[in-house]
Amino acid sequence: MAASVALASFVPAIATPRPVTFSDAVRDHQDEVYGVALRITGDRESALDVMSSTFLKAYRAFDRYDPSRPVRFWLLRIATNEAISHARRRGRELRRRADEHAAGVLPDPALTPDALSIAREDQARIRAAVTALPELYRVVIVLRYFNELGVDEIALVTGRPASTVGVQLLRGRALLRRALEGTG
Amino acid sequence: MTRMRPDDDLFDEVLLRRALRLEASELPPRLGVAVIAARAEDSPLGLATFVSSLFAGLAAAALLAVGAVTAWSLAPSVASDAFAAAISLLASIAVPLEVAVRAMQQPTIPIAALAAFVFAVGYEYRTRKEPANG
Repeated sequence: MAASVALASFVPAIATPRPVTFSDAVRDHQDEVYGVALRITGDRESALDVMSSTFLKAYRAFDRYDPSRPVRFWLLRIATNEAISHARRRGRELRRRADEHAAGVLPDPALTPDALSIAREDQARIRAAVTALPELYRVVIVLRYFNELGVDEIALVTGRPASTVGVQLLRGRALLRRALEGTG
Repeated sequence: MTRMRPDDDLFDEVLLRRALRLEASELPPRLGVAVIAARAEDSPLGLATFVSSLFAGLAAAALLAVGAVTAWSLAPSVASDAFAAAISLLASIAVPLEVAVRAMQQPTIPIAALAAFVFAVGYEYRTRKEPANG
């Protein structure tokens, strides 16, 4: 009897989950939104701009958001589109700055030949290689390996067919490998 | 130090994930909902879009009108200047060519005269040379 009472007290809470508020969305996902923007644009200032414009758009469109779908994917979709638009606007200047930044953070192996510096070097090279990928592949690579999304989820966020996402992931990985072989 | 394996299809996804991960030093400043709301109120999207579209449309229409009026007013003088230039160019080419054209119309006369001249020179040369050898 006591068990059924306890169960009954839990059932309403499970059946009617608390709707996600805009504050929840900002609090829970701003790091991820910023991260996807940073990895797509390759630039901190651009990422901050993209994060800001993403939440501004989300705020304005929040009444049209379908609560039956995860707010995370909705925000990532907006953020990805904003980051792509921003990166296109910045174009070549952005790539040049990313290269300069990557070159700037490379440690001198002669001065610090320890495992930490090697890991840093690898990290900088991989990030630079991801930033230098064509936009088509960069977006899916970032969503896969930064946001940890599956192929179907990436398809949902980008609006591309899942089969296309799969092919773009393969191609993106091949391009990355080639780029890293070139710099390794 | 490259850990992306070159000779097969294996790909070090762990390394890639680790490299792309946000570090503590990279985290953005906290964004407050109040700030976003205030920013949204400051620049209402609908009105801003409408106003910017209106201005862009007006500017494009004005530019098009100025271009059309300018082209319309300049077209007659430009056309007559171009026609006069073409005529004078044609004349400057036609005058020196007139002689050649005339010769080309009756090619037999200069060719016959030239042939007679060459024949006469050859005959004269031959008749003067014969007594010296004989």
